[in-house]
Formats: sequence, structure tokens, C-alpha cells
Amino acid sequence: MSFGQRVRRNEDARLLTGRAMFVDDVNLPGMLHVAFVRSIVAHGKLNSIDVTAARERPGVVAVYTAGDLGDYCKPGPVLVNPPPVPGHVFHGCTQLPLAKDKVRYVGEPLAMIVAESRYVAEDALADVIVDIDPIDAVNDLEAALAPGAPLVHPHLESNAAAHVVQHKGDYAKARAAAHLVVKRRFLYDRGVAAAMENRAVAVDWDPRAEEMTIWDTTQAPIPIRNGLAKMLGLLESQVRVVAPFVGGGFGPKIMMFYPEELLLPWAAMRIRRPLKWTEDRQENFFATTQERGQVHESEMALSKDGRVLGVRDWFLCDTGAYDPYGLTIPINTQCTLLGPYDIPNYETEFTSVFTNKPIVTPVRGAGRQHGVFVSERLLDLAARELGIDRVEIRKRNLLGPDRFPHNHEIMFQDSAPLVYDSGNYLPTLEQAAEIIGYEKFLRDEQPRLRAQGKRVGVGIACYVEGTGIGPYEGARVTVEPSGTVRVATGVGTQGQGHFTVLAQIVADVLGVGVEDVRVVTGDTREFHWGTGTFASRGAVVAGSACHAAAMSVRGKILDLASSVLGVPVDELKLGGGRVTVAGSNARGIAFGDLAGRANPLRGAVRPGTEPGLESTAYFGPDRGSTASGVHAMIVEVDPETAAVEIKRYLVVHDCGTIINPLLVEGQIHGGVAHGIGNAFYEQLVYDEQAQLMNASFMDYLLPTATDVPPIETAHRETPSPFNVLGLKGVGEAGCIPTGAVFAQAVEDALGPESGVEITEIPMSPNRLFQLIEEGRRS
Amino acid sequence: MNLSGTFTFAGPRQAVWALLHDPTVLAKVLPGTKSLVEAGPDRFQGTMKVSIGPLTAAEFAVTVSLTDQTEPSHFAMQIDGKGGVGFVRGSAVVDLADGPDAGTVMTYSSDVQIGGRIAAVGQRMIESVARMMMKQAFESLNAEVRARVQGGA
Repeated sequence: MSFGQRVRRNEDARLLTGRAMFVDDVNLPGMLHVAFVRSIVAHGKLNSIDVTAARERPGVVAVYTAGDLGDYCKPGPVLVNPPPVPGHVFHGCTQLPLAKDKVRYVGEPLAMIVAESRYVAEDALADVIVDIDPIDAVNDLEAALAPGAPLVHPHLESNAAAHVVQHKGDYAKARAAAHLVVKRRFLYDRGVAAAMENRAVAVDWDPRAEEMTIWDTTQAPIPIRNGLAKMLGLLESQVRVVAPFVGGGFGPKIMMFYPEELLLPWAAMRIRRPLKWTEDRQENFFATTQERGQVHESEMALSKDGRVLGVRDWFLCDTGAYDPYGLTIPINTQCTLLGPYDIPNYETEFTSVFTNKPIVTPVRGAGRQHGVFVSERLLDLAARELGIDRVEIRKRNLLGPDRFPHNHEIMFQDSAPLVYDSGNYLPTLEQAAEIIGYEKFLRDEQPRLRAQGKRVGVGIACYVEGTGIGPYEGARVTVEPSGTVRVATGVGTQGQGHFTVLAQIVADVLGVGVEDVRVVTGDTREFHWGTGTFASRGAVVAGSACHAAAMSVRGKILDLASSVLGVPVDELKLGGGRVTVAGSNARGIAFGDLAGRANPLRGAVRPGTEPGLESTAYFGPDRGSTASGVHAMIVEVDPETAAVEIKRYLVVHDCGTIINPLLVEGQIHGGVAHGIGNAFYEQLVYDEQAQLMNASFMDYLLPTATDVPPIETAHRETPSPFNVLGLKGVGEAGCIPTGAVFAQAVEDALGPESGVEITEIPMSPNRLFQLIEEGRRS
Repeated sequence: MNLSGTFTFAGPRQAVWALLHDPTVLAKVLPGTKSLVEAGPDRFQGTMKVSIGPLTAAEFAVTVSLTDQTEPSHFAMQIDGKGGVGFVRGSAVVDLADGPDAGTVMTYSSDVQIGGRIAAVGQRMIESVARMMMKQAFESLNAEVRARVQGGA
């Protein structure tokens, strides 16, 4: 059995030797190259675009503006409809493939240039004369809602994109009965996902076969195919979307119907030559979606002994210039704030706000870190006020193992009520405190190091992560006549290790080696039902589908072997790619032989059976499964320079049954690196006219290998009752509580006497220095 | 971006005023100016080539309009520059006052907006580049002032 083993990844040989194909590797004869003219003004009236000179440049094949697109120039779809929360308001505003009349963010595409080479296309960008009358930009979230603010979408009354209120219990009553109410304002700022591979699209339209092949760096090849077929007036079967290896997704590569994805296929049908566009890093700062701008006003009501009686949270959420992704992010924030705690009364309200900044869609964590930051920081503040230890106050509020399934009564992003499937939170917290040596650190280490003038601190924070949501995924498992097992599924893969975990699931059911299972993902020709890779759902949903399909194939193998060998099914066993008769290893038949017999050239397929050893199955959970965990860290802060060194970082997590600890750790490591970036390094800085001031890796700091410490992990397994294998997702776990634990550890290191209180993320070295200075002066 | 400061010229206000309104002189003293011509009353047009950090030899089409003029003591400027790497837009106010040793003290303040690639990647450098260019321009202009004062004497 491979389940639970540290199986090495099937895909790594290709990835590490440069044999993995990425979209930019697609080079076809006669291929043309595309570049986009983008707005350099954040907000303005678009008077005219003069492309005459660009069209005359030698090597330029075509130049298109909105006017050239005709009926194709329509606003894109709202991808995720808001969940049915009573009384919610939602204004869906989506962008045109090329802007017309108005520009709403720096980077909005205005014209598309197709040329013989990328060099010519880029040179032609400078030939295009764009006339825009600037309008004051909407940048700050609160100013955006002030009366008289310029409007991003003038057909609306204000810049409010949505408004949602959710309730549980009666917060006002809880507050009136409280011993203590802690209240703060919290800020979380914007960053980029910074996938190693930028976006890219390559298109080949074959006019004779009337077939379109699109290679796309997408997390959701099937919805992209379905949407494009409809928009281009083609059958779904005429369009093949391939998401080959994708160098990191993290959310922004999901079914956005980015303008580039819409325009290249359209243009390829007209020009009848293959086209390719690859985003460059600078473009990525403007043309790819981003996340995380939120402002919270929050309070927590507690009893004298530190029991949380209720929480009220009011927040603004930056959605950028358009809101194609609906309310996923702020709803995640609302739902994740409750964490692993028993919070009987909860009042949460948000307004989503249009700004003149790039579009906001989920980025790894997708609003969850904001909720965790608010509740964990409020708990820290309450613990201090009440004189209760930070770990102790958390213990007193955790949901006990007897409280599942636990209904939180509010609506989650998948339009189902927020119900936790299973969890066992106290041992996770205790284990984290034990491994990091929480008590000993506070009792011995911290005073000893302080005496030496060192400022060291510990932080510890809990979180839950809603994962593995529907609607569904599917898989087809086939035993080939060679004996090799082939698995095809619709989810795209961006480095998570799908070729290994899905192979493990199937290998264990069929009794073959993991390396003998070949997985194909992200190619609509191979499998064309499904949604995509998001919400930490690949292993849970596609994995469960793979399991179901493999079980069905297992049944076919046994039935056929039974009739071939003349032995009842219950006397047969599977192993090593063979069916053998129990008690007699010599007597048996190889899967490959069986596959050949299942697809005969003579003879007939009996009624009620199908040819081949192949099955397709689907899995659609009613609701997601809730993973959980605790992060702890020890930091040293230099109070003179505000440099923070992370001495230890620990993650104790519970993602249900573990398929492969090596891959789970890989997901956690990547997530923590992302989280550390968000917490201390990464921030998009806009000026008051919404011009991005740090659109390069010279100025936008990503943590490097020296900034990310070795990460310690411990696994706990509380299986989910929502799927056969007990799986929960782990894709986002690493980055969710990182800001909260970082803030707590840094505060602890500086000590209460420093006067430093961290209520915002990112806490850059610069900003921390300012806070230390302010603390000194007061 | 706000740039403001003072500079003392070694000549009288009238001479400084005249030089500040002479496109031929301005073209000579402003670093990177390829051309500058009078395009109408109190309106100058030209092209400049500037290097800002990673943006090398970026060319801008520049229009400067002078308004609110009180010779020889005060004028305002509207600046509009466009190029392949972005835009520079803003306004400035310049005051000339009698200074020591028959010189002129110029006080200036400006509010400039930048956009496009110069904002995105040049932002860190643009202020120091602008200050350096202004310093060079003022010093060259001062040399012209000195030459005129000496030539006239």
C-alpha cells in the first residue's frame, strides 16, 4: 500500500530535467506573436486610440481595438454567483476584452497587436497613440465610499460592489453581558501571487478540421473550453484546451476569462495562423489578478474567564475595477474568522468596494487569512487584558471533539451553510505548544536571552480551512493492454503533485506500483467534465473520483479474471499488476492480458458489460471538508533595525487522512513561504492616483531562501466523513495564519513595554521600524 | 511627487526672467533636451531623452505652458510629457526675488504626477534623477546668466 507513505513524485523527473512542457514551449510553424497596449492611466475617459502607425510598421500583421471586435466585445461572465444570503446586494461588473469609452485600472488592455515576432509587436506598442482624459482615481477604500467620490462604474450610485450581513445568535445581547470588549481596527494590504510562470496563451486554429487547440496557463481548462466554445460559436468538441505543466497557479490562473484568453482564439480564427502571447513579469503586476486589501473594524466580547461570548466584524473588501469572482473572498473571510472556536454570537457585515486597481480574485488563502488575523489578534489582546495565557485562552474556546458536525449557521462560499465536518482541535494545539516548547520558552529561554539583550518572542495561532468543496470532479481509469494504468481527470495541475497522489489512490485500489499509473490532467481531449483546481480541492474531489473509478475497474478486473480462471471472485486477489488465485501465486493472469481479452477482435461484448477495463466516475460532495491546524514560531527582532529573524517555524496540521506526507509537507512549506511574504515583505504600493510604484522584483520584495526558515511539521489525522477516503485539502493551510502568528511573535519579542501593537499586515521592516520608534516616543 | 527649493542666480531678475523664457537657452541647459521650440504664445514644445534607473534613454514629447505671469517676479507652468515609458504631468510655481550681490533668488515648487513604466519601475529613482537634472539645469543657466551679466558689463 502506498497510502500514507512518503512516495516520491512521479512528475519530478520531467520537471527537474527540463522535459516538462509549459505553454511558452509551444512553437508552431508560422506562429505569430501578440503584445497588448495597456492603459497607463488608472481612471479616465478613453477618447480615441490611433493605431494607424502601428498597422503600417513592417512585420505587424494585425492590430485590433474594441471597435474591431464587433459583437465579441461583450463584458465577461460573472463566474461565481453570490451565495443566497438573505438581503445581500451584489453588483456584477465585468470587463470588456478591450476597453471602450473608459479605462478603470493601469494595465487594462486597449489594443492587441499581432506581429511576426514579439520584438516587432513590442516596438509597435509605442506606435499606438492613446488619448485619455484622466479622472481622479479611486484608490483608498474608505474614500471610495465617501459622498462625491469619483465612480468606477458611473451607472451605480456608489463604489459599493456588494453588501452582505450575516448573523448567528445575538451579538448585542452577548456584548451587554460581557466582562470585557476588545475593539480594534485591522488592515491587510494587497499583494501579487507571483507565480514563477507568468500567464501565457497559445492558439492553433485548424480551418480544415475546424478545430481549435488552446494551450493556456489555467487552473480550470474545462470551464475555459466551455466558455470559449460558446463565445466563439463552436461546439465544445471543436475546442481543446490544454493546461500543460503550469508553473504555479495560486488562484489568479483560474477561469477568469482574461482578455488575452478571449482575444487570441478570436484573432487566430481570423488570421488563420497560430498565435502566442506570454505575459512578462512587469505585465503580470498589472494584468493578472491580485488580492488582499481589507479594512476591518472588529470587536470581541468576553467573559471574565476568557470565554468568547461573541464577535462583531465590519469590513471593507477591495475588489478592484471589476468583480467577476463574486463574493468568494469576503465570504471566506466571514466564515474563517470563527476558526476552531465556539463563538455563539457573531455579527459580520462587509461592503465590497470598486477601486481603480487591478481586478481582485482569490489568491491562496482567498480571504481566509483576514478572518484568522482578526480573531487571533483579538484573542491575543483579550488574553493580555484578562491576564490569561495566550495558549490557555485559546484552549478555553476550542470546539470539543463531541461538537461535530458543527453548524455555524452562516453561509459559506459554496452556497451551503458553514458546517464543519470533523475536527479535534485541542490535541493539535497541545502538540504545537509542546513541540515549540512554549512554556519552557516563556519560563526560561525568553528571560535568559532578554538578559543578554536579545528580543525573542513566541507566537502561536489556530486556524481552520474550508477545503474540498463541490460541485464535482470526475476521472476515467483505464487498464491498457500493456498493463499500464492510465488515469485522466479534468483538474489542472500547477505543481501540487497530482501525478503522484492520484496515482497512489488508483495504485492502491488496483494493486499496481505507483510508478505504473500514468496520470493525465488538464487536457479537455482526455477528460472534459469538471471545474478546476481551487479551494484546496484537487486531492479531495478529483481524488475521490479517481478512487470511485478505480473501484469500478477493480470490479471489472475481478469479474473477467473470475470467468477466465474459473475461480470465484472472493478467491482472487490483486497485486503486482496481476490477478492471482488465493493460495497459489503461480496461477493467475496479468492485467494487460485481461485488458486484451476485455476488448476482443472476435466474439461479442455480453449484454450489460462494456469493452475494456475502463470506468469513469464522478464525485460531488454536498459540502466542503474543514481542515485545521496550529502554527507556532519563534522570532528574534533587532529593535534598532527592525530586522526580524525567524528562528523556528512549526506547523501542526490536520488534513484528514494523509495520502502522502511528503506532498503534504511540500504544500505546507510553499504556503508558509507565501505567508511569510505576505506577513513581512510583500506589498503593492499605489500612489493616490492608483499608479503602482513597485512593479518589479527590484522593489516588490519576495522572501528568498534565506528568509524562509526550515519548517517543522507534525501531522494529525481526523478523517472527513464527507468522502470515502477521509480526505481534507491542504493547499492553502501554510499561508492562512502566518500573518497572525508573525504579529503575535514579534509583539512578544518586543515586549509590552515597547508599546508596539501590530494590527496590520504586511508588517514590513520599514513599518515595524516606524512602530518601534512611535512606541519609544510615547 | 513634490519638488521644491530655491536657487540663487548671479544676476538680476530681468536677466534670469529672459533666460527662463528663451527656448534656445533652455534647450541648451536642460539635460537631455533634443529640441525645444516656441509653439505659440507662452507655449513650448520639444523632445527630451532621459534615463531613469532601468529605463534608459526614454524619449518624451514635452509641452510646457506658462500662465499667471508677472514679469519679472512670478509665473506658473503646466508640464505635460508623454513617451513610450509613461507620462509626466504636473504644475509648478516659480518666484524670482532680488537676492544678495545683485543676484536673484528663485523659489520654486511643483506637484508632478507620473504614470506608466516610469512610475512602476522608475519611482525609486525618479526624484533623485529630477533633482539632479534640475541642479544641472540651474547651474548651466547660472553660467549663462553670468556670461550675459559679464557680456553686458
